[in-house]
Amino acid sequence: MAGAFEYRQAEEIRDAFVRRGVRYLFLGKSGMILLGFPDTTQDADVYVEKSPENGQAIVRALVDIGFTLADVEAQEIIHGKDFVQLKNGPFDLDLVFAPDGIERFADAWSRRVTVEGFEVCHPDDIIASKVAANRVKDRESLGRLRLFRDYWVATRLG
Amino acid sequence: MSGIRDIPSDLLSEFEAARRRPLAQRWRYAFLKTYKPVLDDASFRSFDTMEEYRQWCERALPPWLGYGRSL
Repeated sequence: MAGAFEYRQAEEIRDAFVRRGVRYLFLGKSGMILLGFPDTTQDADVYVEKSPENGQAIVRALVDIGFTLADVEAQEIIHGKDFVQLKNGPFDLDLVFAPDGIERFADAWSRRVTVEGFEVCHPDDIIASKVAANRVKDRESLGRLRLFRDYWVATRLG
Repeated sequence: MSGIRDIPSDLLSEFEAARRRPLAQRWRYAFLKTYKPVLDDASFRSFDTMEEYRQWCERALPPWLGYGRSL
């Protein structure tokens, strides 16, 4: 089992994604944490554009930083599953190609926030995806997430 | 959307404190790892659709993990 996702590793995946030209956005609570939300999580969710070119770039970036992908696994990333769960690398990572509650990658990309080089979904998109997913753990965190969104908007503008 | 005045004071203090921390420190405080039964027992999973993934979570994971839509 991989350990906790360390900041050094986050920098490595950010840099590998940039080097390989991956179109990605941090999503979920890991995205909110990048924006400043004080909470804990075990998962890193990355919303990635669904295209063969981006899939190939993702595979190259993941291999660069130490993920072990069998050929069939690489092909599934390249050829478009909606959701891929990776626990075969230095940290756990979920690749989300079609998140609930967000219609198109291009729309989310146009609203993205960049934090120290990390590309992150806008908090409204993160909240929309959690509302749509409607899992128990999402419902439990939505109240705090919405209040943080209000704080983030107010302090960003102020 | 409510305003910053509607945020409970204890929560506002948490947000303010987090805002003062460097990103690397926020990250270190945020990410933890504990074993999650079933979920952590395979090195790779993929699903054709999100709905297929959601149904797998409902069917295969212990409800207390919170990945399902009901407990």
